[in-house]
Amino acid sequence: MGETLNIISFTEWLSGAPGWLQSCPDWIQNFIFQCYQTFIYADRWKFFLSGLEITFIVTIGALLLGVIIGLLLAVIRTSHDLSVQKPNVILRILNAFANLYLTVIRGTPMMVQLLIMGFVIMVPKTDTGTVVCGIITLGINSGAYVAEIARSGIMSIDRGQMEAGRSLGFNYVQTMWNFIIPQAFKNILPALCNEMITLLKDTSLVSVIALRDVTKQAQNIVSITYQAYVPYISLAVIYLIIVIILTKLLGILERRLRNSDH
Amino acid sequence: MITDKTLIKVDGLKKSFKDIEVLKGINLEIKQGEVVVIIGPSGCGKSTFLRTLNLLERPTSGTINFDGVNITDPNTDINLHRQKIGMVFQHFNLFPHMTVLKNMTIAPVKLSKLSKTEAEERAMKLLDRVGLADRALSYPSQLSGGQKQRVAIVRALAMQPEVMLFDEPTSALDPEMVGEVLDVMKSLAKDGMTMAIVTHEMGFAKEVADRVLFIDQGIIMEQGSPAEVFGNPKSPRLKDFLSKVIS
Repeated sequence: MGETLNIISFTEWLSGAPGWLQSCPDWIQNFIFQCYQTFIYADRWKFFLSGLEITFIVTIGALLLGVIIGLLLAVIRTSHDLSVQKPNVILRILNAFANLYLTVIRGTPMMVQLLIMGFVIMVPKTDTGTVVCGIITLGINSGAYVAEIARSGIMSIDRGQMEAGRSLGFNYVQTMWNFIIPQAFKNILPALCNEMITLLKDTSLVSVIALRDVTKQAQNIVSITYQAYVPYISLAVIYLIIVIILTKLLGILERRLRNSDH
Repeated sequence: MITDKTLIKVDGLKKSFKDIEVLKGINLEIKQGEVVVIIGPSGCGKSTFLRTLNLLERPTSGTINFDGVNITDPNTDINLHRQKIGMVFQHFNLFPHMTVLKNMTIAPVKLSKLSKTEAEERAMKLLDRVGLADRALSYPSQLSGGQKQRVAIVRALAMQPEVMLFDEPTSALDPEMVGEVLDVMKSLAKDGMTMAIVTHEMGFAKEVADRVLFIDQGIIMEQGSPAEVFGNPKSPRLKDFLSKVIS
């Protein structure tokens, strides 16, 4: 009976456990049993592993998409705001679009955006399709926030840098790319790092479009074992460890970029 | 070293910012090899005028011909012409995230298609000329103001421009560093570089200029050789200005 549902009862487990456990207090036995159920029995650690894979894929994909969208929006908005003459029609249309985008994306909850993308706009049928849907939704969402971060970064660079680049003969885009964006990037790295951490944690919402990320997998385990304590606490610890590692890595990158500042 | 060739020809140049007309019709010819120094009270439009010469400020009306091409025509590719017009700014505007050498080579490598080695060779020669060859691998933040401005000058020279524009190149410098920058500019003038210089250094203007322009109230109020302008000013505005700046 227990085998078919892929669960194991406490007494069944205890009878097969090593001798020293038999003499432990109840609560320790119970805790170890829960850990056993969550990670070891029926190779459930593989649930977490495959969930983490999805979480990472979605985070990295959404981050790349978000940075690209954010950078484009930021360049459009700053070019529009800083242009000396009246901006041309194309730039005005692009700017209006960028403002609309920022208003809509920042004005609606991420969960609602996921539901709309997953069940109204994209309606993915395959596993890959669902992953792509998750990446696009989170990327579009993150892009709106990165845009404002990047805009503040570009605005923080002295006008003289643009003039120096232009006076040497670089065009606007080349100047942005070679001189403004590298400096702006360095300035916004801490804020960008924050955004990346938020994004990583936000991927826990993708379970609503049936993506089996690490949060969804923990839920799955709970629905099998009916014990929430160890799976959810472990889930929190997993996110925490990833965030700590990320923070450290970005700290190293930041210090390396600061090399020219002496 | 002034030749007969007209390098820059400005006709009826006007520039307004919103409702304020800063330049009210400027006509000027600069010959190849000529050193033109522009003086005038602050806010008179002399910096704006210099910045229109490479279209960092777009004139409201009027034309600028550079080397026979009307660069104010919207169909002219201004980026190509800016490669031949070097500019030096009051606040240096070096790229702080690049070494001195990279500051000097990035434009020739990416724009005039020199190889990296060629560009570096040229850059090192130029740095050597201004006595900064040992600072090639420093970052701008490690240099003094005078050194920064010398680097800014050779950065512009690395593109082998036909004319150099200087926008108050010594105004942001500590007094003891002004000399080293002016020396570089003097040697450039001696080599026959065409130069347009906005400055408050009257002694320098007297020594180096072929022609001095006095801009006031948006027009060229008076111009002539340094001897004429400083020795025998005609307009009362210029007399007044000179009495204030020359102590």
